[in-house]
Amino acid sequence: MEQIFRVSVERCIACGKCELACAFSHGRDGLPAASRIRVVRQGSERGIPLTCLQCHDAACVAICPMLALSRDPQSGAVRLSETRCVRCGLCVAACPFGNMLPEKGGRVAKCDLCGGTPRCVPFCPTAALEFLPAELALRGPDACRPQDTPLT
Amino acid sequence: MIPTPQAASREPRAEAVRAAPTSPGTVVLCIDGRTVRARPGTSLLEAAGAAGIEIPTLCHHEGLEPYGGCRLCVVDVSREAWGEPRMVTACLYPAEEGLSVFTASERVLAVRREILELLLARCPESPPIRRLAREHGIVESGYRRNPEPTDCILCGLCTRLCDQLGPAAISLVGRGIGREVAPPFHEPPPDCIGCLACAAICPTGHIRFSVSDSGTTIWGRTFARLRCPTCGRSHLTAAEVDFWAARTQVARADLERCDACKRAVTAETIARLTAAG
Amino acid sequence: MRPASVAEFKAIAAATRQARESRREVRICCGTGCLANGAAGVAEAFAAELTARGLRTALNLHDKRTGCHGFCDRGPLVAIEPEGILYTRVKVADVAAICEQTLARGEILEPLLYRDPAGGRRIAYTREIPFYAGQRRVALRNIGRIDPTDLDDAVAHGAYAGLARALGGMSAEAVLDEIERAGLRGRGGAGFSTARKWRAARAAAGTRKYVLCNGDEGDPGAFKDRSLMEGDPHAVIEGMIVGAYAVGAREGVIYVRDEYPLAVVHLTRALEAARAAGLLGENILGSGFAFDLRISRGGGAFVCGESSALMRSLEGKVGEPRAKYVHATARGLFELPTVLNNVETWAHVGAILADGADVFAALGTARSRGTKAFSLVGKVKNTGLVELPMGTTLREIVFGIGGGILGDRPFKAVQTGGPSGGCLPAACLDLPVDYERLAEAGSMMGSGGMIVMDDRTCMVDVARYFLRFLAEESCGKCVPCREGLQQMLRLFDDLTAGVGTSATLGRIEALGRTMRLASLCELGRTAANPVLSTLRYFRDEYLAHIERRACPAGICRALTVYEIAAERCNGCQACLRACPAEAVTGARKGVHTIDPQRCIACGACYDACPSQAVRFRPRTEALTERRPA
Repeated sequence: MEQIFRVSVERCIACGKCELACAFSHGRDGLPAASRIRVVRQGSERGIPLTCLQCHDAACVAICPMLALSRDPQSGAVRLSETRCVRCGLCVAACPFGNMLPEKGGRVAKCDLCGGTPRCVPFCPTAALEFLPAELALRGPDACRPQDTPLT
Repeated sequence: MIPTPQAASREPRAEAVRAAPTSPGTVVLCIDGRTVRARPGTSLLEAAGAAGIEIPTLCHHEGLEPYGGCRLCVVDVSREAWGEPRMVTACLYPAEEGLSVFTASERVLAVRREILELLLARCPESPPIRRLAREHGIVESGYRRNPEPTDCILCGLCTRLCDQLGPAAISLVGRGIGREVAPPFHEPPPDCIGCLACAAICPTGHIRFSVSDSGTTIWGRTFARLRCPTCGRSHLTAAEVDFWAARTQVARADLERCDACKRAVTAETIARLTAAG
Repeated sequence: MRPASVAEFKAIAAATRQARESRREVRICCGTGCLANGAAGVAEAFAAELTARGLRTALNLHDKRTGCHGFCDRGPLVAIEPEGILYTRVKVADVAAICEQTLARGEILEPLLYRDPAGGRRIAYTREIPFYAGQRRVALRNIGRIDPTDLDDAVAHGAYAGLARALGGMSAEAVLDEIERAGLRGRGGAGFSTARKWRAARAAAGTRKYVLCNGDEGDPGAFKDRSLMEGDPHAVIEGMIVGAYAVGAREGVIYVRDEYPLAVVHLTRALEAARAAGLLGENILGSGFAFDLRISRGGGAFVCGESSALMRSLEGKVGEPRAKYVHATARGLFELPTVLNNVETWAHVGAILADGADVFAALGTARSRGTKAFSLVGKVKNTGLVELPMGTTLREIVFGIGGGILGDRPFKAVQTGGPSGGCLPAACLDLPVDYERLAEAGSMMGSGGMIVMDDRTCMVDVARYFLRFLAEESCGKCVPCREGLQQMLRLFDDLTAGVGTSATLGRIEALGRTMRLASLCELGRTAANPVLSTLRYFRDEYLAHIERRACPAGICRALTVYEIAAERCNGCQACLRACPAEAVTGARKGVHTIDPQRCIACGACYDACPSQAVRFRPRTEALTERRPA
């Protein structure tokens, strides 16, 4: 059953817990700079959490000369193969949304939905981040567009 | 000189690979006594790796065509019909039905040690080579030290990568011991775009470069770094942007803007769309 | 000619042959060797003399420049047919006399004849000269008989008769069967079954296939392929057309070494002539079979003779070998099924088809059928290009055809197989030349270089020579060959400088083993062969270098001191004249001495002295003697 990572922008209170959770689960430091989900703050109480949109026709997948980016059949995410990546930085340049994240030492990181159990989701206090079965998540033709569900 | 059957029997005996029921498009072979299934067309290196058997490599990279230059990944392969096992490179030899593979036979280990001794003599001051040699039990090379020590092991990863990425600015020139990685005519390469991928993939750190806000310097050329039109931070060279803009479908605006600013724009767009309903 | 059918071709061939049967011919060898000796001038002189004297019409005589006659040591060679007279070391000044006396009056000019060293008798006829009598020329059948730039001449001597038979009713399978029955094996060195290679290519998937000719002859001392391409290019072309027909290829390439300009010229002209005659192109001889050939000039490196490197070079890339776990017959040039064969292999195909497989198979040994061409060079009296049935012994070649060692010095070794081969000692002289027997003995057939060595050869130095060659020619891609050859060279430098130890030998053997097992291509894998074979048969020489710091042959300069034995010196001054370092002093008829400070130990004095007054001995021995008491 296909699951979709849904971001409900109006619910975000820019607390930054998702960033901490992500950074912790991918490394030891928990530095927000290491997070693969980045909250673009709009003042102190609102934010827009941005993470890889796992595009169906991803620019990064198309551009990678090493075929290091591909769709993971388990999680549905676009995954980066560390052994294939050569740090050319093309994917960073190609992603129109800025969701391919350059790290120190030329490395690149991106959201891979943690293999199917995104760690950030349970930490979001307002359920701005959800990982739902497709039929529940989809409310329109473009699965990547945030929906304006009323808060219940 | 004539190979004798006794030599083969000194190696670990492989279990007979029974004709196990396999799905079409799978081959069954035996690696270090274990039955392994692999897709036809995969290399012994991949097949072994999938089965958890690590074979050392130096010139291999998953994203590049296998090269077969360092010879570190040699393994012994044999079939019942052959008299003596053959030594082949695992990165290139295809997994075949009924093949027996020995990744750590006596002579394979002896050959690996010799290769590392030869490399250590060539690159006596390279920490990664010293480390790799030590892992195989070699502290000092018994061969004559290179009178002009270098860190380049001529693995070709940099040139193969540069070819595959597109610029093809450097290549392996010269023959034999005079072989080296160089730009055309040993002059600053006109085709280099300053992406530094060659330096990143080099296993010994031989390729020197420097990055500052004003420029990226490598192979004797200094590349102006492009500034993000929004925040002014530099992240790519102008040459890189020109190259990718000309060769790919990526919009120039996406290439020029840094990831943080792209996120800012994305966030703005989303905010606008959300507000609009 | 432009025959539209096999029948028409046969008729033309017969007519051409008949038309030339009765005419006399003066055949001037213009192979590269004789050209270097002034053969072009001789040929021009003949042309001028014959015109001036009107002898062509008067005597129904035709002069022509041919390819290599084979007896390179005695060139420039001029053969007169049908008498079968051979004139040797012909100079421009001799031409007038030849025309007036031999051609016009049938008188033989003694001074120009071959002189048999055993007895001094002069031999007039080619067929009686031991150098030729022991040979059986099959691949080289037409070289020396035909003008390689004249298609008609080649056809008159049987060119394309094999092709006519193949296209005149044989199926591709039948051609494959014929080659298999003949037992033809690759003449480039490895000796792989030609039929098996062709069958594999035929069976490979795909409709686009290639046949290639490896004309990148690179072994030092080998020139049989050069002579074939220069002297009988149609033999090569014919073989490739037949091969293409058997395999199902429409395209072929002849990869010629860039350093063979005459071969390129003659092959180019031959291709043009063949195309004009409809022997290449669409609907060859009306059979419906289409095939064309082009020439590609070599990349300029020995390694380009390696089959996978050759194909990469043809693809426009650097000539580097690649792993051959997938055979070229499945995926070769441009990843298409490819048959690559040596020049000599192709040259046999036409004859096998024309004369029948049984004729070929009747020669040679059970596993090595047919004949093999060799460039016989080195310290042998009769150097040149020879062809003989497989199974001929080394003794017959060196002492029979070769006439024995120059200066009648003791035989020491014969090297076959080029840098991939080995040195065989006197104990192996009765070995029959055969792929398996040579390999068992530690050498290999190789492409045909055969270097004869006498007692003034240091076998350690020979091994070092081949190592140096290979170190220069190694492409450098793989570690065992690139680094291994360097380290081997250093170890050999130690040996020849007298600082080798028994550990040196151990290292050499271990490194040789690694190179043989782990190198990427045959260049690296066989690089240790000269080392291993000399270690096997001449180990005592290595030990002398190590234990006594002596070079028994007196060649290694660091280890050798040359001295003149006063009691034998008669003051003839031959050594003084020969010395390149002005180290010899002495008055005429007086005893000469060598100044050890100036002497470079080259041994030229030793080789020049007619009275065995020059001696050599280990430098350490001489030094200990000279130490003051």
